Amino acid sequence: MEEILSKLNEIATQKFGAEYAEARAQKLNKAMLTLKEGRVEAAKQGIEKGVALRVLVNGAWGFASVGSFNAESLMSAMADACRMAKIASKRLKTRIKLADTKTVVDHVQLKPKKDPAEVQMEEKIKTTLTVNKAIIEYDQRIKSCTIDYMDLTGTSCFINSEGTCIKQDKLYVWARITAAAMLNGVFTFSREEIGSTEGYELFDNMLETISEKVAKRAVEQLSAKQPKGGKFPVVLGPNVVGVFVHEAFGHLAEADLALAGGVLADNLGKKIGSDLVTFYDDGTVNGAFGSYKYDDEGVPAQKTLLIKDGVVTGLMHNRETAQKFNAEPTGNARAEDFRVEPIIRMRNTYMAPRDYTFEELLEDIAFGYYFKSFRGGQANLDGTFQVGIQEAYEIINGELGAAVRNASISGSTLETLFKVDAVGKDFELAPGRCGKGQTAFVCDGGPHIRIREVLVGGNT
Amino acid sequence: MATLEKDQMLSLAESVVAVALRKGAAEAEAYVYEGQSINTGIERGQVTKGNKIVDRGLGIRVIVNRAVGFAYTNTIEEQNTVEETVLRALSAARASKPDPDWRGLAEKKPYSVAEKIYDTKILELRAEDLVNVAFKMLDAATTVDKRVFPVEGGVGAVYLSNAIANSSGIEGFDQGTIIECSLATVAKEGSKVTPVCFEFNAERSYDIDANWVGKEAARLAVSALKTERIETKNTKLILTQFALQDLLYFTLINALKADNVQRGQSALKGKIGEKVTSENITIYDDGLFPGGLRTATFDGEGAPHQKTLLIEKGILRNFLYDNYTAKKENKASTGNAVRAGYLSTPFIESTNFHIIPGEATAEELISEVDDGLIIYYLQGAHSSNPVSGEFSVVATPAWKIKKGEITRCSRGVMLAGNIFEALNNVSALGSNERKMGQLIAPWLLVENVKVIGK
Repeated sequence: MEEILSKLNEIATQKFGAEYAEARAQKLNKAMLTLKEGRVEAAKQGIEKGVALRVLVNGAWGFASVGSFNAESLMSAMADACRMAKIASKRLKTRIKLADTKTVVDHVQLKPKKDPAEVQMEEKIKTTLTVNKAIIEYDQRIKSCTIDYMDLTGTSCFINSEGTCIKQDKLYVWARITAAAMLNGVFTFSREEIGSTEGYELFDNMLETISEKVAKRAVEQLSAKQPKGGKFPVVLGPNVVGVFVHEAFGHLAEADLALAGGVLADNLGKKIGSDLVTFYDDGTVNGAFGSYKYDDEGVPAQKTLLIKDGVVTGLMHNRETAQKFNAEPTGNARAEDFRVEPIIRMRNTYMAPRDYTFEELLEDIAFGYYFKSFRGGQANLDGTFQVGIQEAYEIINGELGAAVRNASISGSTLETLFKVDAVGKDFELAPGRCGKGQTAFVCDGGPHIRIREVLVGGNT
Repeated sequence: MATLEKDQMLSLAESVVAVALRKGAAEAEAYVYEGQSINTGIERGQVTKGNKIVDRGLGIRVIVNRAVGFAYTNTIEEQNTVEETVLRALSAARASKPDPDWRGLAEKKPYSVAEKIYDTKILELRAEDLVNVAFKMLDAATTVDKRVFPVEGGVGAVYLSNAIANSSGIEGFDQGTIIECSLATVAKEGSKVTPVCFEFNAERSYDIDANWVGKEAARLAVSALKTERIETKNTKLILTQFALQDLLYFTLINALKADNVQRGQSALKGKIGEKVTSENITIYDDGLFPGGLRTATFDGEGAPHQKTLLIEKGILRNFLYDNYTAKKENKASTGNAVRAGYLSTPFIESTNFHIIPGEATAEELISEVDDGLIIYYLQGAHSSNPVSGEFSVVATPAWKIKKGEITRCSRGVMLAGNIFEALNNVSALGSNERKMGQLIAPWLLVENVKVIGK
């Protein structure tokens, strides 16, 4: 395989005038399950293989993807990629250049305790069925439960025209568990995800606790009240802090979005948050869902400091944006598979803990909300964020009160980070999937925090 | 584009079904897919890239002892890989558990003609043509106003085809084309940057207006420069198709899926024949809408696409069914099984979700609003409660309407409510129907929605 890929790059640079060429061949195996109320809807297994070819010609990108390892198809795809780039470059004012990076020759082999590819489908079905039944039987008000399970194993072989050659194993195990409950016309919905790059053993360890969490929340939310709309002091749980860091700040710190008119480009080196705010994007957390050794441009993953004590210290880069900002590539270029080109993506993004206990965070709040778990979140380049909440409680005179459902928070990132006035000493990372045209597996997290004031979307 | 022939794809599908039955499947279904696209990409004000993607594959569903197994591969030119894939589908089915409710794959039914979904002109487009469309769009945007900065966008031409065969006699082949151009812009003035504004045009035939897309994306961004705060209150909203598409997908459409209804996770369960929205709303799922972006001859199980009345003058008439959920109620599938190419088993989704337009022009609708907002883009619709239809989202930006005219824009306006209450409060529908993904709809004027300002 390596020989064909090198040959392709050689043809691109020597015959088609490419200043840079890369080839990424992947072979991926997937096992998937969908279970609904103790019924296996389908047991699924798939194999896919293909090559992604990317070139720079006259300062423009060309890309071709083909689902084959056939040398002839690949040669013609490489010619296509070069032609696409050349045509795109027609009116280019600013040519794309890449930041230098060390050439790497490496073979990354994973040695999981329990390789999901070795675990029989029967066992996967048995485990997920047990959880599915446990949730349905938890309470008769629970009407439905869906479990989606996926494991992905495979290899990626990356070779570029600069001499980098990386063979890397891939391993992901993931599941999403949802439950819906109903009582007297009130409908609730609860969701958790688990995910790891370590091995199948995660399931044996985590499924039981997760399923209880999902079931308990769905039932508890039935008697929850609607939130008030308006500005309130809030305490956010690690799960909500994670999605807040990811959505409200993380996307703005992706250098491609910063360049596209995002608010962070003009704030490098400036203070945009309180002294308590320190954020990382870290690709090196052992076994975490967003971890890997090398990104899809062959750059080693690293622990990237984004904000230190409220001051913006860096952005997440690929080689192209690193060159534009005169910075080092941070290893954030990721492609979902061989069908798509690598783009800047987060890995494990989190806030660093400080010194408050949970009780201390609550004690000064006369009335506010504790947002424990999120349902979804989204950000805009202008720094407006939204995080929808699936589990929340009132805080009354420093104590947790009634459960609250379907709340959301919103605000401007640059204003909100200054309002973080206390940060907890606990820490949790949670797996998730991030959509930016492609799907990336990530983790988000942090400690509990308190925000002096944030806009809460409510119905009353 | 060099594409696979109809006969090639159909005979592959049929041979796979035969092999699966021979190897022990009680029932079998094969789905062969081909997708090809060429795209040109805009980044930060200029065309910077081009790509070409070819994706072909085969998905096989087999039933053994009422248990469903599925396998896929994207290597379809080698006979032994195809056979291995059949065996993997069988092994998955054998590992699985019988489903007592399984009542067979879809049976053959006559197909209607899906009109205006295939245009050979799109197949003939070269990268040069797409780049020229991109230039036209960029030029249109930047001549509107110097403060406009096109953030990203692109032009793409897509060819899709699929063939399906199953052991109940279904065989079908379908092909279609799509051309799309889109542009996201911001406007900058001093240190002020507007939220991202976006326009696009997608069609099944080569008839897109790149000039309009560029101008409109620019106009929206510039009009977002002047801002004003908004107070918390209940107010009138005009929901444009952007907002509707986002909101309905995560709420109403979910509630209409028979799977969710049967499983007790739909607020519409048991409400057939009852009033669920205001009387001026009539909605079809129309898989045959001429030129619709989701129009096709048949669905992901080979069931014919059709036009299904879902809500008639506010009264709930029907749900969206696939073969499995339909058979559970002794009904016929409404042709709403879709697939994510060859990689997935079929699941229920609406085809073209068509809200029948009203009489009012866009201008008339706006002129009816004395004090309200017009909503384009929403953030956080996916965090709605998919079962109850409760939403709590942010409009970025929303434009104010005062005395019948659009004035300044307001950022980060939160909207909270329940989709069924909102649809009960629709007082008028525009005549300005537009296709957007699976939605075909006009603007809606909604009364009395809770808005939370800063």
